[in-house]
Amino acid sequence: MKKFNLMFLAAASMAALAACSSGDEEASGGSGSEGSADVDEITAWAWDPAFNIAALEDAKEAYNGDGDYEVNIIENAQDDIIQKLNTGLSSGTTNGMPNIVLIEDYRAQSFLQAYPDAFHPLTDVIDSEDFADYKIATTSFDGEQYGLPFDSGVAALYVRTDYLEEAGYSVEDVTDITWQEYIEIGKDVKEATGKNMLTLDPNDLAQVRMMIQTNGSWYVEEDGSTPNIAGNETLEKGFETYKEMMDADIAKIVSDWSQFVGAFNSGDVASVPTGNWITPSVKQAADQSGKWAVVPMPRLDMEGAVNASNLGGSSWYVLNVDGKEQAADFLLNTFGSNPDLYQTLVKDIGALGTYSPAAEGDAYAVEDEFFGGQQLITDLSTWTDKIPAVNYGLHTYAIEDILVTGMQDYLNGAELDTVLENVQGQAEAQLK
Amino acid sequence: MSQLGTKKAEVDLPVRTKYEESRRQKTGVFFKKKVGWLFIIVSVIAITIFNFYPMVQAFLLSFQSGMGANLEYVGLDNWRRLFGDPTFIAALTNTTIYLLIQVPLMIVLALFFSVLLNDPKLKFKSFFRIAIFLPCVTSLVAYSVVFKYLFGIDGIVNQFLINFGFIPQTINFLADPFWAKVVIILAITWRWTGYNMIFYLAALQNVDKSIYEAAKIDGASSFQQFFQITVPMLKPIILFTSITSTIGTLQIFDEIVNITNGGPGNATISISQYIYNLSFEYTPDFGYASTVSYVIVILVVILSIIQFRVAGEKK
Repeated sequence: MKKFNLMFLAAASMAALAACSSGDEEASGGSGSEGSADVDEITAWAWDPAFNIAALEDAKEAYNGDGDYEVNIIENAQDDIIQKLNTGLSSGTTNGMPNIVLIEDYRAQSFLQAYPDAFHPLTDVIDSEDFADYKIATTSFDGEQYGLPFDSGVAALYVRTDYLEEAGYSVEDVTDITWQEYIEIGKDVKEATGKNMLTLDPNDLAQVRMMIQTNGSWYVEEDGSTPNIAGNETLEKGFETYKEMMDADIAKIVSDWSQFVGAFNSGDVASVPTGNWITPSVKQAADQSGKWAVVPMPRLDMEGAVNASNLGGSSWYVLNVDGKEQAADFLLNTFGSNPDLYQTLVKDIGALGTYSPAAEGDAYAVEDEFFGGQQLITDLSTWTDKIPAVNYGLHTYAIEDILVTGMQDYLNGAELDTVLENVQGQAEAQLK
Repeated sequence: MSQLGTKKAEVDLPVRTKYEESRRQKTGVFFKKKVGWLFIIVSVIAITIFNFYPMVQAFLLSFQSGMGANLEYVGLDNWRRLFGDPTFIAALTNTTIYLLIQVPLMIVLALFFSVLLNDPKLKFKSFFRIAIFLPCVTSLVAYSVVFKYLFGIDGIVNQFLINFGFIPQTINFLADPFWAKVVIILAITWRWTGYNMIFYLAALQNVDKSIYEAAKIDGASSFQQFFQITVPMLKPIILFTSITSTIGTLQIFDEIVNITNGGPGNATISISQYIYNLSFEYTPDFGYASTVSYVIVILVVILSIIQFRVAGEKK
């Protein structure tokens, strides 16, 4: 009797399961198929209401194509977007997926390669010549252009001119310098003002990432997947420079974003080397107006290194679901071909795009009083064009987590070669 | 009278009818059973679909590997990879440390508080009970963030210690491998002690007071009463709370992510956080991630068996 009941249950649950899975198939068969269904609404996901969401709103206003559809803008936290894309795309259903999604450049390759058919190529839609070179490298895969480059992550050195003056330096003295010169200046600034030169977060190697890109190097080789750690001279130099900064005692140690922002807003540090997206946060401290200047990123003291780097930045992608034609049309007629939109973006939200034809516009030439009348946007977009293109590849964050441990060992006195060889070994074992 | 009557009737029944009677009764039992099954069938189906089916799928997934949707069967490769993976070993070590220190600490504290609060002579009893239980109603993320700021380099803990001269200079708690673990353990203990205390309090109410009175008359000290009466009486509850706490600690995620994010280096990373990183932070490898998940399953099973053997009834 018992057996019978169990079998009955098993059968019933099987039936229920079968019902579920057949339902799934129907759903995915309906939306994932080829051919262009006419949709009258497309959805776009982004994460920052003050930045990329606002940019989408502006784009919606500026749309000058002749498509007849509604654009539905949805705000999700970046982590949520990553989770939803991963779970949605790997389960094979496209239900609930957006048409347009913003993806951080460091993660782009991993999405493009992990879900090969999930994205709609924009090769024929946009002209990649119009965008900064380094953005194209990160947003294309296998000869196809998938991303429409959005914001520039061009890195710059934000300096407190008043602290520099106190230590006897001018803005020219910190322009186009190497990190070694930067450290020397930092020591003098600390002696004269008692202020640290910068903040460092030992758990976040953004500093090292920016350093090595000045010499066109990355954690992985050209192929985007082989770890390039042991014997990577640029990375070695980056590690050494990082340690020199620590040893010179010119860095305030922070452990999260709010401490990082708090440090320069309260005037505790004399400079901030980071991505240009920090501008609004620097400007939050209105009482510091006129005391700041922005200069090119210091470079590594190596042959071939340039005074330009990148941190962060993201691009738009079209998912391969119903409405992809409309989504591509929307992107083409906004971010893909409209220089005026980029003027609005700069004026309204301070978002610096990577669309080269936009650089001639008026908004780019505006002088910023906060930075002593500097033509900040023009400068930043000039530096954007100099950023060495590297393939961020698939494993930026995975390798960085291993590197952070290596950095701790190195700072505690371990031999650099051994540390990097360890990291290389671990990375190779982990990233099969 | 009636008893006698039935007995008589039964005796009088012909053999065939008796057989039919018993069959009818059996079908009745079966019918009743079936009705019982029908009542629970909805939840059984739901549990099968939402628990067992995913468990089986996850088990199959643990033998696959690959980026995102490109999964393929790799046999035992994931398990082999597991034992040579320094991050996994770090995560396992950290989780074990949390477990070995935090669970006993919390159980003892909870027991201690519950006995104190059960004292009939205690005043403001409900105030103390609420005060100790209150942490458990706070959101995991919210209290983690508060702890992070308390122990920050400019945080109130550092200021307090400096102002009272306990330490010469600020300790960067969250950037130090040892102190970061201490902060995590403190945080979980603060959050969950009250929760376990409630179980003990409830159990203590059910302990017969006369046992204590008898012990007092026999001249047992408070310590003797505690170890000879309270602890044995609470044994099943202690077992229950230690198993649930063990499972909870093995799955610890929110606190780690919000207080230290696994850092410095991998000094505080937990198994659950590593699973999250493998699935969402890095290029996703759901196959390997579910292998790591199954390690938690195996650990929970083993530890529960041990706890049952050590503390449970010996049958």
